[in-house]
Amino acid sequence: MPNTFAVPDYFVSPTLLTRARTIAQEHASLAKRLATDYDVSAARRLGELQSTSTAVREYDEAHSALEELQSLLTSTDQELRELAEEDIQPTRDRIEQASAALKSSLVPVHPFAHLPCLVEIRPGAGGDEAAIFAGDLVRMYKGYCARVGLRSTQLKYDTADEPTHVQEAVLEVDSPGSYGMLRCEAGVHRVQRVPATESKGRTHTSAASVLVLPSIPTEGGGDMGEASFDDPKSDYYVDPKEVKLEVMRAGGAGGQHVNKTESAVRLTHLPTNIVVAMQDSRSQLANREKAWQLLRSRIAQLRREEREEEIAKLRRGAGAGKVGRENKVRTYNWGQQRVSDHRSGLDVRNLDNVMEGGEALERIMQSVRTWMAEQEVLSLVAEEENSQAQKK
Amino acid sequence: MPRLAPSLLRQARAIDVLLPPLLPACRDLRSAENELRWLKDHAIKTGRQCGLAHSDASLKRLVARRARGEPIQYILGTEYFGDLELKCQPGVLIPRQETAASVTHLAQQLSKKRKGRPSDLHILDLCSGSGCIPLLFHHEFYAQPGNEHCKLHMVGADISVQALELARRNQKSQIAAQSKRVTAQTTSLAAMRFLHADVLLSEAANAIHAPIGVVEALQQLTNTRPTPAYEVLISNPPYISSQAFRTTTARSVRNFEPKLALVPDNPSSAPSALDGDVFYPRLLALADQLRTEIILFEVADIDQAQRVATLLARQSTWRTVEIWRDEPGATSDEADHVLLDGGESVPVRGAGNGRSVFAYRGAAAAWLQ
Repeated sequence: MPNTFAVPDYFVSPTLLTRARTIAQEHASLAKRLATDYDVSAARRLGELQSTSTAVREYDEAHSALEELQSLLTSTDQELRELAEEDIQPTRDRIEQASAALKSSLVPVHPFAHLPCLVEIRPGAGGDEAAIFAGDLVRMYKGYCARVGLRSTQLKYDTADEPTHVQEAVLEVDSPGSYGMLRCEAGVHRVQRVPATESKGRTHTSAASVLVLPSIPTEGGGDMGEASFDDPKSDYYVDPKEVKLEVMRAGGAGGQHVNKTESAVRLTHLPTNIVVAMQDSRSQLANREKAWQLLRSRIAQLRREEREEEIAKLRRGAGAGKVGRENKVRTYNWGQQRVSDHRSGLDVRNLDNVMEGGEALERIMQSVRTWMAEQEVLSLVAEEENSQAQKK
Repeated sequence: MPRLAPSLLRQARAIDVLLPPLLPACRDLRSAENELRWLKDHAIKTGRQCGLAHSDASLKRLVARRARGEPIQYILGTEYFGDLELKCQPGVLIPRQETAASVTHLAQQLSKKRKGRPSDLHILDLCSGSGCIPLLFHHEFYAQPGNEHCKLHMVGADISVQALELARRNQKSQIAAQSKRVTAQTTSLAAMRFLHADVLLSEAANAIHAPIGVVEALQQLTNTRPTPAYEVLISNPPYISSQAFRTTTARSVRNFEPKLALVPDNPSSAPSALDGDVFYPRLLALADQLRTEIILFEVADIDQAQRVATLLARQSTWRTVEIWRDEPGATSDEADHVLLDGGESVPVRGAGNGRSVFAYRGAAAAWLQ
């Protein structure tokens, strides 16, 4: 395509474009077939392909409009040239929009994006300071949820010697779609500051890890789609036989001799050795249910990571790092009052507003969501290229 | 009681000034933190019901009560027993988790085989207290698949009028929590009865005011002369010996829970280490009169379990006798049987302390084995 104005924003890689055109072709032939012979599954497929097909058409139309304008630019007619020059910019904008629509129509919606989620925060390297920072992150996400209107409850808040030293905290964000909003927060968050515990005024670097897990409704639910936890094929399926339930009882004589309240529950998933302990409620039943919910989410996350590992090579080839627990994703620098995200590369100066879960945090999160969408497209392209290579 | 480490108190104070007073009663920081949170929730809830915005003063009062050793269940007014939340009040024994585990296990055992099992089961719980055993048995029994058409006829009996009132209140709130549909489950719950009776009374009482004997009370209930049959007899009787009450029983239990429900009040000549056993022979005599086929009696420890098992072995009518530990369904590496004085070997199931004695005979053997 003779396009001398190609800038990165306009650019849709040839592979992606080929994929889009293949989809558009399938759409056209399906539409033809459906005109004579109605078929439910074909109709559904047509619906899925619709947005890509429309986006390709718009993309092509915008491009041919630009080509036409370019040929007019070489025209000898002065008036015609001026008219063309006026139209060039809007047409470029149109191409840009069409490219974005094309990309987003090809980006698969995350299968768990519609679910509520659990946010687990644990201190990493850095001792007490890391534990304090973990507490700061808990407050940040609580503030964020309150501000954007997501319902959040503190499922677990374990502290060490001091009340501010968080060992493990779990927030349950039970608004639908919160997984899609918050999954960009998963990863290692690094803090650089002079800790409250530091007497000599030295700056320390510590870290806390944030895990974002899609949360399953407690009842085997219809809106889970394919991820029902009674289905052995689902990521959420956990065989009860593989889980050891321990109830912690008061030691000593027991029975009528003591009246201690012991409602703590510990679940161990034997194949993976994942342990979940829950003791916050007086009701053992409630603790059991919460523990199961957490266990299912952790196992599902593990399984997803295992599966992602298989296609990770492709993604790395496309420059997409894995958004797992081992990668440092963001740095909070107190000295410079600055927060920088290492994925999207966005720098924000308003540290206090970020730590309150304010609008500045939303800006960072939005930049990461955009970045993640781009990475998805890139990995899609890599997969496409790979399957093309295998065909040859 | 060992002294609390000063560092622990310091740590507790750093978290919340209300934690240190709770430590002597709770013993560890974990449970103190949990209890403080529950007390806070309770203070806020009750404050809201009274239309009070501030609950600080009432929270301090609750913490002070707990610091004096009062059981948290009496302060909060409820206790979780298995899956049920039951009301508690001073004067009536607080339901224990171990009892819930035994009752749940019994409901599972009675549901393993339904072939040959009568379609109606009559269940009697003696020394019923808060009514926790029949209420949980009912809940767990109908939670098992395949039991929805079996009818349970359940009776609880207690010597304490206060306990009977509480048991009936607990029954009412369980009825309220059930669906309005008429099923074997809902009718069985509504038909549950709590009777005023004295287990230790063997002959018909001639006194007018005193509670009557169990058999007499049951005859009055069904209005029949021949004694009705109860296939299942459950009991968590007072079983602590006067010696163990002084040495083993926790101070909070001794000071705040009714001694009537803990130590048998019997001027017997038994030594003070064994005077906790007086209910069991009487319970077995009742089992014969009521043509009982399945029994589950709670006991204090493995020694008392062996003494009760010996009583059963001497009767020689029981087809199978088992001792259950705190968690009868769990596996453990503890001894899986004990030898009685007469040389009989009795299987011991589960993990934890010896907690109850289970036995069956007659027709029940066919569908329990």
